[in-house]
Amino acid sequence: MDWLTDPLQFGFFVRALLAVVLVSVLCALVGAWVVLRGLSYIGDAMSHAVFPGIVGAFLAGGNLLVGALVAAVLTALGIGAVGRQSGLKQDSAIGIVFVGMFALGVVMLSRAPTFTTDLSNFLIGNPLGVTPADLWGAGAVTLVVGAILTAMQKELLLASFDPTEARAIGLPVRRLESLLLILIGLVVVLTVQLVGTTLSVSLLITSSASARLLSRSLRTMIGLAALLGTVGGVTGLYLSYYLNTAPGATIVLVNTALFGLALALRKRD
Amino acid sequence: MLGVDHLTVQYGSHTALEDATVRFESGQFSAVIGPNGAGKSTLLKTMVGLLPDPGGSVRFDAGHTAQSCVSYVPQQQTLDWGFPVTVWDVAMMGRTGRLGWLRWPGKSDRERVVAALKETGVYDLRRRHIGALSGGQRQRVLLARMLARDGHLLLLDEPLTGVDAATQEQLMALLRAQANRGRAVVMVTHDLEQARRWCDHLVLVNRRIIADGTPDEVYTPRNIEATFSSSHLGHTHAEA
Repeated sequence: MDWLTDPLQFGFFVRALLAVVLVSVLCALVGAWVVLRGLSYIGDAMSHAVFPGIVGAFLAGGNLLVGALVAAVLTALGIGAVGRQSGLKQDSAIGIVFVGMFALGVVMLSRAPTFTTDLSNFLIGNPLGVTPADLWGAGAVTLVVGAILTAMQKELLLASFDPTEARAIGLPVRRLESLLLILIGLVVVLTVQLVGTTLSVSLLITSSASARLLSRSLRTMIGLAALLGTVGGVTGLYLSYYLNTAPGATIVLVNTALFGLALALRKRD
Repeated sequence: MLGVDHLTVQYGSHTALEDATVRFESGQFSAVIGPNGAGKSTLLKTMVGLLPDPGGSVRFDAGHTAQSCVSYVPQQQTLDWGFPVTVWDVAMMGRTGRLGWLRWPGKSDRERVVAALKETGVYDLRRRHIGALSGGQRQRVLLARMLARDGHLLLLDEPLTGVDAATQEQLMALLRAQANRGRAVVMVTHDLEQARRWCDHLVLVNRRIIADGTPDEVYTPRNIEATFSSSHLGHTHAEA
């Protein structure tokens, strides 16, 4: 069993494991709604749209996560506003806003004097660079997001399953969606740190999508997504340790493989 | 009582419904009948408050609003039946509006859901995933949700579509019973014969109200011609 305990002597590896577990739970809570409501594209858009926030905070010497969060909230509100004002379909609104935001990040980056590892970590991510403060932050966000989603579960469920009925009984369907977008942004900000902007959507949706294939109720789906995410994350971290591969991408590959397994195992009824 | 006064609804340059005035009374089982694109769903959605700014007005009894008393049953095929919820979960959604924010279902809510599931004959299926149900069973589950909501006005959009003939009869009997108990039941359908046999109030629609009254008053060759004749079928895309 040495191969299992060997990496645990390193503080950074233990922190990475804890971070992966926390983020997997968080992604399961939010990812369930993302998958059920068909918001995966928005999740992907979010992960790119936080980029200028990160670069801006970096150039200004501020906290990169706060920068990312500001960009996420602006993007969430911006997508809604563009969609309503222009009357374009939502996928167009999302495309316009997120590519614009990402390009803004690239332009800002080209003005940066040096391209340090600090910043490149945010592009490709590095779970092994997680600090104790990051862990506390992730823990707090998981609790807050979990509390919000639990409190609004029955409203979100109705608004997702039958938006027409939800509007008929007077639920603020649009505001619920904006809230979800902001929560997606929050989650993306945390996952970006682990696997980078380009891969973070995988953590958000892949485990939830696998869980959906195997679940008959929402509670099972969220629980299973958390479990699959944790298994994928831990397995991916160990694999990357022994194979000497990029940890974020290894985790994503394991999650993708688990999805393939779920697809093959799915019971037909 | 529920009704609309001089309702006109336009989607862009297309007029879905023009100057419609109609009343639906408590204790009546009403059918809104017309071909595709006639504005039937538009009329229903306006009454539920789903269209933000209709031209004209929607009227309720004093003290009532759409949100307080209307149960709306959408067309079955507009829902995602792969959604990870059970029959019980869907029926319980009927209590969401009654409960309000930050409140969880209690004993009385569960009792209402049990009663609704039994009345619609799907109590034994309550733990099933909704994807495993037949078309008729799905419609029963939607009706169970409607009953669990305990609204005074029941609005149903094409409740007989995708439902086998035997179940159709049972559903119509169930709706008839709701009207007999004093509720106002309004059903959108394109099945004139079915409506004529079960309903006591027919409204023929083809982008305007063609006829409105008892089946005997309404069911005339001229009215049916005016409602279903091909000259009115030029715009079939508008029933959104």
